[in-house]
Amino acid sequence: MDLLLKIKGLSKAFGGLTALQDINLQVESGDIVGIIGPNGAGKTTLFNCITSLYHPSEGEIQFQGIPITARKSKKKEALIRRLTMLFFFLGLCWVPLFWSVFLPQTDYPFEMFLVGLFILAIQVFLVIGLRKFEIWAWGLTLVFLLNDLIFAFWWLKYPHENMSLIGTEIPANFLGIPWSIAALPFSAYFLWQLLHKPVRRLFGFRVGPDAICRAGISRTFQNIRLFFNLSVLDNVKTGFHVRLKTGVLGALLRTRFQREEEILAEKEALNCLRFVGLEQKAFHMAGALAYGEQRRLEIARALASEPRLILLDEPAAGMNPKESAHMTELILKIRENGISVLIIEHDMKVMMNLADRIYVLDYGKLISEGSPEEIRSDPKVIEAYLGKAHAAC
Amino acid sequence: MENLLEQSSLFLQQLVNGITLGGVYALIAVGYTMVYGVIQLINFAHGEIYMLGAFLAYSMVTFLGLPFFLAFALTIPVCAIIGIILDFIAYRPLRNAPRLAALITAIGMSIFLQNLALMIWGSQIKSYPRNILPKVFSEPALIFGEVSISWLQVFILSVTIFCMIFLHLVIHKTRIGAAMRAVSQDKTTAALMGISVNRVISFTFAIGSAMGGLAGVLVGLYYNAIFPTMGYVAGVKAFAAAVLGGIGSVPGAILGGGVLGIAEVMGAGYISSEYRDGISYAVMIGVILFKPSGLIGRKIGEKV
Amino acid sequence: MTALNPAKLRNHTLISCLILFIVLLPWIPLGHSSNYLLRILTTAILYMILALGLNIVPGFTGLLDLGYVGFYGIGAYTSALLTIHYDLSLWVILPLAALNGALWGVLLGLPTLRLTGDYFAIVTFGFSELVVLVLRNELWLTRGPMGLPGIPAPSIFGHTLVHEWEFYYLILFLLLIVLFAVTRLEDSRLGRAWFAIREDEIAAQCCGINLIRYKVTAFAISASIGAMGGAFYARWFLFIHPDMFKFWESILILCLIVFGGMGSIAGTMLGALILIPLSEILRIVLPQELFNARYLVYGFILVLMMRLRPEGLIPFERSRAAKALKTKKRIGSATGKEAV
Repeated sequence: MDLLLKIKGLSKAFGGLTALQDINLQVESGDIVGIIGPNGAGKTTLFNCITSLYHPSEGEIQFQGIPITARKSKKKEALIRRLTMLFFFLGLCWVPLFWSVFLPQTDYPFEMFLVGLFILAIQVFLVIGLRKFEIWAWGLTLVFLLNDLIFAFWWLKYPHENMSLIGTEIPANFLGIPWSIAALPFSAYFLWQLLHKPVRRLFGFRVGPDAICRAGISRTFQNIRLFFNLSVLDNVKTGFHVRLKTGVLGALLRTRFQREEEILAEKEALNCLRFVGLEQKAFHMAGALAYGEQRRLEIARALASEPRLILLDEPAAGMNPKESAHMTELILKIRENGISVLIIEHDMKVMMNLADRIYVLDYGKLISEGSPEEIRSDPKVIEAYLGKAHAAC
Repeated sequence: MENLLEQSSLFLQQLVNGITLGGVYALIAVGYTMVYGVIQLINFAHGEIYMLGAFLAYSMVTFLGLPFFLAFALTIPVCAIIGIILDFIAYRPLRNAPRLAALITAIGMSIFLQNLALMIWGSQIKSYPRNILPKVFSEPALIFGEVSISWLQVFILSVTIFCMIFLHLVIHKTRIGAAMRAVSQDKTTAALMGISVNRVISFTFAIGSAMGGLAGVLVGLYYNAIFPTMGYVAGVKAFAAAVLGGIGSVPGAILGGGVLGIAEVMGAGYISSEYRDGISYAVMIGVILFKPSGLIGRKIGEKV
Repeated sequence: MTALNPAKLRNHTLISCLILFIVLLPWIPLGHSSNYLLRILTTAILYMILALGLNIVPGFTGLLDLGYVGFYGIGAYTSALLTIHYDLSLWVILPLAALNGALWGVLLGLPTLRLTGDYFAIVTFGFSELVVLVLRNELWLTRGPMGLPGIPAPSIFGHTLVHEWEFYYLILFLLLIVLFAVTRLEDSRLGRAWFAIREDEIAAQCCGINLIRYKVTAFAISASIGAMGGAFYARWFLFIHPDMFKFWESILILCLIVFGGMGSIAGTMLGALILIPLSEILRIVLPQELFNARYLVYGFILVLMMRLRPEGLIPFERSRAAKALKTKKRIGSATGKEAV
């Protein structure tokens, strides 16, 4: 039984609101793990963190041993902070240099002076922004550094031996050359930061939910998120998207590879529909299905991506006991096929019948964990639910 | 010291011009930002109300022969009413429609109004006749060295400041202002508290449009050029100002308007006057890409 | 939303009219139709191509692109300048223009497609305005407000195109290529990903669809089609000018797809077929000053459509339902039973 999913110290805060605090959770291969808790406890937020729709504020998530969240390390933060202060101080030196070069030559000395002040002000803003890891600060910092770099190259190419630093006798070279040498590594560093995953957000490249799906985790949603204007079959085929490879060229040219992939996609989709019992409705519009069928369709779509772990967010919500029993059977069938399940559910009967282990969340904190029997008799859990425990028995 | 005054005179003159222009942009931007605050929609047709304000004042002066200040005073409520009508026929029916539909409607209304003005008034640039305006407007009011501020600029600035103070009082000291703030934060809860959301939204449109129309009259006066497509460009610039300051935030719109006006005049003066409009577009694109919440604004997220 | 019932596909009539018309199109020049009629039809088909290109972005991915005319202009100027300076053949220029369009689509799309709908619309609008500004002011490149006159007409196998009907067949051929491309894209893994993005971005992401990659691809393809249209236009009209690529053109093309049905190919074509000749009728009926204000009609149509029938003449949903029906007929027997 290897460890499939491991969550350590996960926290997520939205401004002042802490949605999750120090969550530790494990799913072993072949398990069905349940998460219960009152509304607003943070259960869906947890799912969103696992699927990378939210970035955790702290903590780490590992899937099959590989970390799938970007964690801001404290050391890196401290390093960034020190570097930005250094950049800021060097920037202070840069401005008199700028003035020494431009003021004597230009027709607009007053305006040039103001531009220098303006640049200084922007650099102060950048320092503030960088300390908060703000994206805009990264972008602007890069722009400024590239500008410094260009200025440095120009400086090196046309060294002004006779020019002295404004108001002094010091030749401007004295500052110009060290600045040129410093600007290069800084530019390189910030450029690398830009290419590095957490900051790539500026251009939209980040480790997102699609990578999580490719890695083998898929999910359903509390409020059904189907593609309502597409057919049932298309919905599931879309789920299979991540296991296919065809791109623009294949689509245009209808190569043999593309045609084979499409046939495969159709077969797989029908298989998934058969698995959840919806194959008769394959050509209906997803929006036309009954509520229970829509929930099953979402599961079929999630299964299509051949996950190793499936996250189910209240799959039995709004169902009568017979439908819940069917859902329970379906989930057990999923486990039999080698897919581990992490399930959020309010319906205690379903949960007790399914889960090997249960975690209990309340106000974003884990208040209890253990087997269904242990949870049932845990006073903390009873207190949090106050009354629900009777219905569960 | 004299040398400094001399050297800085070009800069200071541009600054004065920039602040004047900025005030106008702020007036328009405030309309955008307030409407966005309450219905989360960019009212593309707002620029057209600005343009209609200019045309209405002009028409009242030239066709009806009214004195300028009377026309000025009358344009304000008329524009407010136009704003309310715009909301009623174009936006209210689509209150619960997907965003794309509302956006397309806004653009459609904008184009419709522009061309309506084109049909009614023709495409030639209109100017106020010389003898209509008080002569004193073109004379300088204050002179520092080579920097002069004309009475017209003083007039525009004082109207702008007056409007801002008025707006501030309305938003923070009146009941309807509190209702506006409530609706912009959470429409459903505000409705549950007994606030008539539709009425608040109409009121927001009324105030925003009144200010927009007012700005139109002022600009028509300042540049003495009125034409049907003036709303289009000014609208985008004012929107850029609103985004720069932080969409949804009124102080942000004022700040953004000021910054954009100054940036545009400075850019046109020092860099290039052909790309004058391009500066605003570039600022807007830059702000949206790098800091969409603007200088002051707040972030809005989506619930998964 | 009703269950799939062939009898209820109301737009049957509309689609069959469209098909009838499309089948008729190649035969029209063989009669003694006037050049005037051919010109109108060529324009309509050009706009059909442009609309098909624009349709990809709001229709398939659900984002509003207000700056489409920028790509149209880029394509036109690319084609005109390459022809004037290097005298290249049309068949070299079309792919080059398409590539240029795609390049700008990628450059513009990469940083902007992660924005929400409103901001994206505004940024694309800003882009198209900047394009027009550059076209108007960079005289060294584009001759600015003087325009580019005297662009040589294209030649096929040595024969220079002169008659209206020759251009007509050329644009028909281009339409076929674009239609071919778009329908193939629609019915593929790529198309499914796009529709998923249009329906629900978050669910699409969780199904493994990288939003940025697919949005940028859609945007680039849309841009390249627009550029191709522009390339044809330059060598057909033989004169281009920055004022031909103003924002209002984007609105016109948007109107075509909103009217016809965003996301449905048949709807887009129908929209172009109805509204472009309408513009000609307006030109005849209205005096000159009013005609300049004809965009009033298009603005009005946009508002009206959003109010009364936002899904357009041939809705996207219907085309998806029709597709499902087709698939069902193909594999119907495999599932064993008829779905009613």
